[in-house]
Amino acid sequence: MTALPETPLLETRGVWQRFGGLVANSDVSISVGRGEIVGLIGPNGAGKSTLFNLIAGVLPPTQGSIIFDGEDVTKLPAAERCQRGVGRTFQVVKSFETMTVIDNVIVGALIRNTKMRIARQKAYEVLEFCGLAARADKLAADLVPSEKRRLEVARALATEPKLLLLDEVLTGLTPVEAQTGVELVRKVRAAGITVLMVEHVMEIVMPLVDRAIVLNLGKVLVEGKPTEVVRNPEVISAYLGDRHAVGA
Amino acid sequence: MDTEFAQRRRRDLIVAACLAAIAALVPLFVKDVYVQNIMVLTLMYAALSQSWNILSGYCGQISLGHALYFGLGAYTTALLFTKFGVLPWFGMLAGGAISALIAMALGYPCFRLRGHYFVIATIVIAEIALLLIQNWDWAGAALGIDIPVRGDSWLKFQFTRSKLPYFYFALALACIAWFVTWWLEDSKWGYWWRAVKDNPDAAESLGVVVFNSKMGAAAVSAFLVAVGGSFYAQFVSYIDPESVMGFQFSLLMALPAVLGGIGTLWGPVLGAVILIPLTELTRSFIGGSGRGVDLIVYGTLIVVISLALPRGLVSVFSLRKGAAR
Repeated sequence: MTALPETPLLETRGVWQRFGGLVANSDVSISVGRGEIVGLIGPNGAGKSTLFNLIAGVLPPTQGSIIFDGEDVTKLPAAERCQRGVGRTFQVVKSFETMTVIDNVIVGALIRNTKMRIARQKAYEVLEFCGLAARADKLAADLVPSEKRRLEVARALATEPKLLLLDEVLTGLTPVEAQTGVELVRKVRAAGITVLMVEHVMEIVMPLVDRAIVLNLGKVLVEGKPTEVVRNPEVISAYLGDRHAVGA
Repeated sequence: MDTEFAQRRRRDLIVAACLAAIAALVPLFVKDVYVQNIMVLTLMYAALSQSWNILSGYCGQISLGHALYFGLGAYTTALLFTKFGVLPWFGMLAGGAISALIAMALGYPCFRLRGHYFVIATIVIAEIALLLIQNWDWAGAALGIDIPVRGDSWLKFQFTRSKLPYFYFALALACIAWFVTWWLEDSKWGYWWRAVKDNPDAAESLGVVVFNSKMGAAAVSAFLVAVGGSFYAQFVSYIDPESVMGFQFSLLMALPAVLGGIGTLWGPVLGAVILIPLTELTRSFIGGSGRGVDLIVYGTLIVVISLALPRGLVSVFSLRKGAAR
């Protein structure tokens, strides 16, 4: 990996996560540079979501450390990492169902804005950015799945993150919806926000990301440019089995 | 859309002011002491339920142990007055403060529990507190405390000849509880509480410190309920553990909010206005002879309303306001 001119925004150093006898992440060291879109991919059970939760602060790693923006945040809980600029979405959407769409986003906006009027204004701007402004006064429960995904992104963006963690926001969408999602991610980066995204669907994520990190069985298998990664025999064998790797 | 939101907030405030003004005029026409008594209780339960609603409705931490704070308010006021001659007005604030502190002390371990486990903890703690008071000799044990009558005065907050001062105080209390809710609803806390109720994990990821949010809700809720308890002690002028800390108070605080619409601004008021007169009337008209007939009627009504309108009676009104409630 080439050395970046400045310190990376996010670094995990030798991170391990064990659940009883199960090792979900073993010695994972990755880094995400400022302004990058990095894809975190890998087959089911590779440890992607666990790594995400470790970065977001849902649980502390069994071993290793997490450095965000030059600060060791390993022991900080999720709320404090959000305060420092880590925004995230959830793989299984977690909207505030009894609240309206705008109120959902206001919750996120309140961390940077104490005045309600300004938080509301800010939330509305974020909804416009995400193309949800027309749904602002609907209950979150009444949104269709693709809109709920976008609401997750909007809520996280309202916290004005430096790093946005997207957990399978493009999975399970129709091609048109997924394309809208891809455009949204590009817009987010254009706004100066670094993106780390877990994705399952290679053909959607590969054209989008600057760099891909492949996890398999809890370890970093390969990382590099998406075009190189998809041709890597180890990646192919992890996804499709050894038989297919031979041909590559 | 921004102005629409502001308009709705303002309309709520105006409606509340009008209702309070109308309520204030009612005693001029209704002289019957029995009916006035029901009105005082209705207003008191509206205030209590509104306060309960802050923790259990908005923040989603269902408490069935709020009788504890009601009793604490009543006992603090009565003990300070009878033992040390402290005026009930100060007793009221002291009771509120003590309750808020105890709510946070209890919340510290209990807010780690979720769902039913939390509810059970609240019931158990209130029952333990009841047993403690029943065996505390200095506080009158099971016999309770008789608050000595020293003549009618606002200073001592005692009125023997008329119920009207109590009525106006209860009205003020209901207005304060409503206004506090109204004000908190569009504050950082209000949003945090609803987020915590709907999804604590997502709330935490958005920078909401879930634990502190619950503690804040518990403190505000307990303070207001304790003030209601202080008022009740003065109103009935005799308290014993069962009559101010019994489980029925926990239920009577929860029911109006649940019936009217849990986690809504108007739910507790609406619920109390329907439920409390009904409770009192069924008790006096059919409760006397047949054992528990009043409770059957009462229970049936709750079942019917819960089945027909699971989101509470306010959902009838919110239809025209759209989904925004």
